[in-house]
Amino acid sequence: MARVGVFVCFCGANIADFVDVPAVVEEAKRIREVKFAIDYKYMCSDPGQQQIRDAIVQHRLTSIVVAACSPRMHEKTFRKALSDAGMNPYLLEVANIREHSSWVHQKDKKAATAKAADLVRMAVAKSIANEQLHEISVPVTKRALVIGGGIAGIQAALDIADARIPVVLVEKSPSIGGKMAQLDETFPTLDCSQCILTPKMVDVASHPYIELIPYAEVLELDGFVGNYKAKIKKKASYVNFKTCTGCGACWQKCPVKVPNEYNMGIDKRKAIYTPFPQAVPNKPVIDARYCTMLTKGKCGICSKVCEKGSIDYKMQDEIIEREIGAVVVATGYDLWDPKPYEEYGVGRFKDIITSLEFERMVSANGPTNGVPVRPSDGKVPKNVVFIKCIGSRDEAKGIEYCSKICCMYTTKHTILLHHKVHGSHSYVFYMDIRAAGKGYEEFVKKAQVDTGATYLRGRVSKIYKKGDKLMVRGEDAQIGQVVEVEADLVVLATAVVPNKDNPDLARLLGVSYDKYGYMSEAHPKLRPVETAKAGIFLAGCTQAPKDIPDTVAQASACAAKVCGIFAGDTMKKDPMISTVNKEFCSGCQNCVTVCPYGAIVTEEVPMGHGSKEMRTVAKINEGVCQGCGSCVAVCRSMAISLAGFTDPQIINEIVSI
Amino acid sequence: MKKITYFPGCSAHGTSKEFDETVKMVMKSLDVQLEEIPDWNCCGATSAHTLSEPLSYALPLRNLVLAEKLDNTTMAIPCASCYQRMKVTKVHLDKNPDLSKDIGTTIVDEGTYQGKIAVKSMLQYCYEDIGLDAIKARVTKSLAGMKLACYYGCLLTRPKAITQFDSPEYPMSMDHIVEALGAKATEFDYKTECCGASFSISNTEVVIRLTGKILEMAKESGAHALVVACPLCQSNLDMRQPQIEKQTGEKYNLPVFYFTQLMALAFGMPEKELMFRKHIVPVEGALAQIGKIEPEPEKVKKPKKAVEAESEAE
Repeated sequence: MARVGVFVCFCGANIADFVDVPAVVEEAKRIREVKFAIDYKYMCSDPGQQQIRDAIVQHRLTSIVVAACSPRMHEKTFRKALSDAGMNPYLLEVANIREHSSWVHQKDKKAATAKAADLVRMAVAKSIANEQLHEISVPVTKRALVIGGGIAGIQAALDIADARIPVVLVEKSPSIGGKMAQLDETFPTLDCSQCILTPKMVDVASHPYIELIPYAEVLELDGFVGNYKAKIKKKASYVNFKTCTGCGACWQKCPVKVPNEYNMGIDKRKAIYTPFPQAVPNKPVIDARYCTMLTKGKCGICSKVCEKGSIDYKMQDEIIEREIGAVVVATGYDLWDPKPYEEYGVGRFKDIITSLEFERMVSANGPTNGVPVRPSDGKVPKNVVFIKCIGSRDEAKGIEYCSKICCMYTTKHTILLHHKVHGSHSYVFYMDIRAAGKGYEEFVKKAQVDTGATYLRGRVSKIYKKGDKLMVRGEDAQIGQVVEVEADLVVLATAVVPNKDNPDLARLLGVSYDKYGYMSEAHPKLRPVETAKAGIFLAGCTQAPKDIPDTVAQASACAAKVCGIFAGDTMKKDPMISTVNKEFCSGCQNCVTVCPYGAIVTEEVPMGHGSKEMRTVAKINEGVCQGCGSCVAVCRSMAISLAGFTDPQIINEIVSI
Repeated sequence: MKKITYFPGCSAHGTSKEFDETVKMVMKSLDVQLEEIPDWNCCGATSAHTLSEPLSYALPLRNLVLAEKLDNTTMAIPCASCYQRMKVTKVHLDKNPDLSKDIGTTIVDEGTYQGKIAVKSMLQYCYEDIGLDAIKARVTKSLAGMKLACYYGCLLTRPKAITQFDSPEYPMSMDHIVEALGAKATEFDYKTECCGASFSISNTEVVIRLTGKILEMAKESGAHALVVACPLCQSNLDMRQPQIEKQTGEKYNLPVFYFTQLMALAFGMPEKELMFRKHIVPVEGALAQIGKIEPEPEKVKKPKKAVEAESEAE
């Protein structure tokens, strides 16, 4: 005979204001199997848990029902309470009377109470059929894969490697450093970006626990948490990194000039190049799209001048494999193309540039030696108009969200302009100034005072040319009038958009992504770095627009999560997974098709006892199965059962109401 | 010979007679037959859509129904306002087919709307259906020497969802057409700014300010004349010009041509028939520019720079 204990929580006022908690307890007591029922203000607190522990012993309870908040919140907490009292933790059922009743039925207390009582009845009925379950152990490969070598990937790789866990860092471009390497100074402290980043880049290259694979891409990821296998393509660099000393003779002599991506195309680089002087690794690669030796078979100068004979025009892409236990995705961001802003003359007026172009120009290692110039005539601009929210918060032309970093970097740009060009003046057209962050508001205020920049609240409606000036017409909403500013240079704060490769990579990894292309975290508040796929974590702008401090924090959080997985030789996993009854399985493989995790494979078993004829049945990989139950639903022969959600449990629930 | 449906609109019979006449001349010479909708009615602009939504659809709807009876695939409309009303109605009804019945039974008694006719402005028809090559092939008297600021106004390309033609902010179709005629289109940033439209009557001050700015920018672009495809734009820019000059003290001297007038001119039709006499601002100065070709500044060849490395290894 089952002996069920019911514990109903007030959740402060969250439940008690809209559900008559004592009435629910009384209802519970009327159920035959319920031998003990009680309420408490905060069941999750230690005194609350103590009541559960005591009751288990005193009343010899066989299963427990806690009627409180969502099991996503505190199921683990209460399971532990059961364990502490010597009871199998999977004999717990949580009736969610907060999210499923009190919060959603705030206008009708009577009905909310009745519903809460029903939820309790169901949980009690289910718990009676609960079985003792035990955590599963899965072996772990202690090596992490970090995809992307920007500041997020660098931070995650260093933190994991510092815990003496091997890291494979894959970067698609020839050097790590990412967008941060393109920045001059960083808000809100105006640290030199290079000075704080490049030492970390060097640390990555020299770290004994980090294998840096530049100029490479992840092609495949198979397996499951703790036991992934990654296929990585090392793109042909046409330079033997082992013998190359990075002397630079090759790129100095290369005759082919192409737009320099690092400087946003403001100047040129060669077809054989390192992206920037501080690149890590500081070894050149040949850009096969432009090298005339590779495209037309003519030239070969770099090979002639290389004293080490490191140039190899016949080099091919190479596919390598690595065993991996966990993955950190840190693919960064791209910038929105402002072409749709036709009314600004984007594309027609050379003196309209993007913020990252401005950043390159004011950078000490930039193409103009740190002084901004007008692309049209090379003159140093005096009046510069900065326009924020280009593409951000713009449902008509761009995207709906706020890119988060533009208010701050535009403020920084007004400071840099003030420092670099004497007698200059900044005009900033803005919708709002969003300066939430440590030291951010102070930074903006100080910049406004120090630079004397004119802040105009309103949108720019048109930019037109008058002589060699750009006339910027916009609204100053604070005086309710249209204003026109004569500008030498216009800087557009273009929106942050996800790396264009994100959707492809997400599909490859088996991770979900949102409508914009950002990869999705498992829970927006409580699991912000995990994905829904176990063992894959997100750092930086892969997940959403972020500034450097937030990116670094998230990267370190990823590292902590990875180290958590690798803390033991094996990994513990919830036993709520599916199992196949091979006797019943007809081998239709519907379950294989619907499984979102690729956890179901097939195996051959004898037709009958001792038979040599074989037949195909489904087999579930314990490590991969997440217990979603899709396979159970599609199984026509009812051969699959999900532990914790067995047919008797579900039927009990339904019958109870 | 091609045949298309033609909706002249009321201004073609009055203030923009020269547009109507030159459209007919140009189309004839391009081998396009215009079939005017019999018994067409007012498109409703601008009074209908400011007063009654159903009426603003009903009036163009009757024209659409009549137009479809002619069995042509395309209707071309010279007036920007008429075009706008017709296209708005078409897009609206194509999205909500039931509405055509509602409006149709109450006001229109000419048949049912099928939604099969394409509605285009005359500019769009010339650009998309006739094409630059055919126009270029027909030119006998190049307009080379003339610099022209092409002014589209607010209706021809906007809103994009309705017109589905050219750029709403910086259209180029008319620029391409006048360049096909041999003229030079200037870089003109005010090509889609508002001219003030019908406020010309009720609030002349506004029109003088807005149109004045357009004239100023056209002048600054180096144009000898403006080119338009809208009767109201033409009348505001041309008729109000002396008044604006008086207020600003500037002398613009910018005649305002319909693009079809210039097409006809370039096609070698006699000037007399192009009705330049109807213009307020005299056209002679601008027309005198034809043939006065400035020698192109010779391109100075830059000496080839020695190959230098942009960056050095550290």
